[in-house]
Amino acid sequence: MNNKAIIQLDNVSKNYRRGPETVHAVKDVSLSVAPGEYVAVVGHSGSGKTTLMNIMGCLDRPSNGRVTVNGREIQEESESGLTRLRQTSIGFVFQQFFLIPTLNVIENVTLPSLFAGHKPNGRAMELLGKVGLENRLHHLPGELSGGEMQRVAIARSLINAPPILLADEPTGNLDSKNAGLIMDLFEQLNADGVTIVLVTHNSDIVKRCGRTVQIEDGAIIQ
Amino acid sequence: MTFIKVAISNLRRNPVRSLLTGLSLAVSAATLSVVLSLDQGYSNAVTNDLVHKTGVHMYITKEGCPIEAASVIAQGGLSPLYVDESIVARLEKMPELAAVMPFKLFAVTTDDGSRTDIFMGITDAVEKIKPDWRFASGGWFTTRDSIILGAEMARIENLGIGDRTYVEHFDTEFVVSGILHRNYSQDDGTFFMPLATAQSLVKREGKLSAVALKLADISAMDTVRNRIRASMPADYFVIGSRELSDGILQFFSSTRAIMFVMVGVAFLISVCGIINTMLMAVLERRREIAYLKCVGAGKYDLLRLISLETTAIAIAGSAVGALLGMVLSPVSGNLLRRFLIAYVPSGAIARPDPVIALAAFGVCTLVGMACSLYPALRAAKIIPMEVLRNE
Repeated sequence: MNNKAIIQLDNVSKNYRRGPETVHAVKDVSLSVAPGEYVAVVGHSGSGKTTLMNIMGCLDRPSNGRVTVNGREIQEESESGLTRLRQTSIGFVFQQFFLIPTLNVIENVTLPSLFAGHKPNGRAMELLGKVGLENRLHHLPGELSGGEMQRVAIARSLINAPPILLADEPTGNLDSKNAGLIMDLFEQLNADGVTIVLVTHNSDIVKRCGRTVQIEDGAIIQ
Repeated sequence: MTFIKVAISNLRRNPVRSLLTGLSLAVSAATLSVVLSLDQGYSNAVTNDLVHKTGVHMYITKEGCPIEAASVIAQGGLSPLYVDESIVARLEKMPELAAVMPFKLFAVTTDDGSRTDIFMGITDAVEKIKPDWRFASGGWFTTRDSIILGAEMARIENLGIGDRTYVEHFDTEFVVSGILHRNYSQDDGTFFMPLATAQSLVKREGKLSAVALKLADISAMDTVRNRIRASMPADYFVIGSRELSDGILQFFSSTRAIMFVMVGVAFLISVCGIINTMLMAVLERRREIAYLKCVGAGKYDLLRLISLETTAIAIAGSAVGALLGMVLSPVSGNLLRRFLIAYVPSGAIARPDPVIALAAFGVCTLVGMACSLYPALRAAKIIPMEVLRNE
């Protein structure tokens, strides 16, 4: 095990039932992500990359093996402990933006801090400035473009200042121009010290990441 | 940003659905408020009529159920049961009795059934018994054909002192000798006449509907009642006015049971509606709730959020319903008056009552909040992985 890793997976397997059959989504995977790394996880659909990311994001526990996130072993954590770990250590960005349609931009961004029990401290404004939406604070999601909504989602994922950002196909719903803007943003965040693990099919995006992990049939092949 | 703000904003997503859910609870709250008002109002009105306003402590009637006695005494109608007038002299000799008032009560309905007038044959003992018996004008009977009118009856008939009024049913003309002050009891709508005249009109000379008694010392009621019972024929019935009102209220209990079943049905519909609505709201937002869990929403956060959404609907719906109940109570009281069988009290059957409205609001809000538990638990149990993987 790499003691400096912010995410450490040792011989991790994940099996789950789908009807009568058992799916071996992840098979004996070991992976180490250092603080400040920018990692792309690539693979075909159904290869197990999303399952792997959910394990790294403390949304799922492995069937076997050991997972350490930001110094905490997730097998040892209770449900509320994992919730707390997600609040403080991990930001999530998905292909769908999952913005609350009846809350405006700034309210959506501050939502995770409500669950973490943090008081508003101007960070939302700072983040929205960073993603270039300082003039759209009071707009509802329905009034934004896809690229703008994803930028709101990114700002929201960072509101609790997590050291890790996990992104699952973050540009999957965007055109190339907006996809480029999002990737610029990710690079900027990475330059600021945020560790990014990104799942994608897009080879152009892969080229912009510091490291690529290829997964096939639940196992890392590269 | 607060949980309440998020909850309210979630309700705005489907305002029609939220409105309808609130309305279903409003109907329950209004129904509960109206039924409680009717229940309390009817009890109060009956007790007020038969216990407080009459000044009567006991009645002597021919043995029968108290409801029949109530019907004869208070509502009119020519009962086949009667008391012999000879007992009055014996009663008047009892020192424990402050007043003894024999009376004959009957009702006359017009041929087309559109109007029923109540006639009461009385003696001057009425002035000792009825606390509110005061003349607004005129005075006591001057002849056999004199009548005293209740205030409302004088108003309806537009009669004054000395005026004559013809009662077709008896083919008799009466002269108004007195008009009473309004006292908001059955008296307001009654024709009073000399006892002998009333007995003669219905061909029941020497017979009484009942004898009303006022005790010198009310604390001796049981002793006096036993003494009277012992001295009366076996088929005579001595009943306290409180028992009489309780008997009527007991008869009313079947109506009350039906009303409370209605409340129960209204509640059941509301509960199903709220649970269904909130469950739909949760199921529609499974992916979003899964995402909220990703960003750190714990089980209790989601329980709180869904419960707050339901509570907001419950508070709004219950408040509207409770206010609606206050407005509808008098209307429903008047409606109920048409269908009452046992006894129709003179006063308002249901009045707007803030305490009842508050109780209906509290009960409905609590029921609404309880309805949030299952949907909230479903939301809290969402496993983000499964939702994000399978949907």
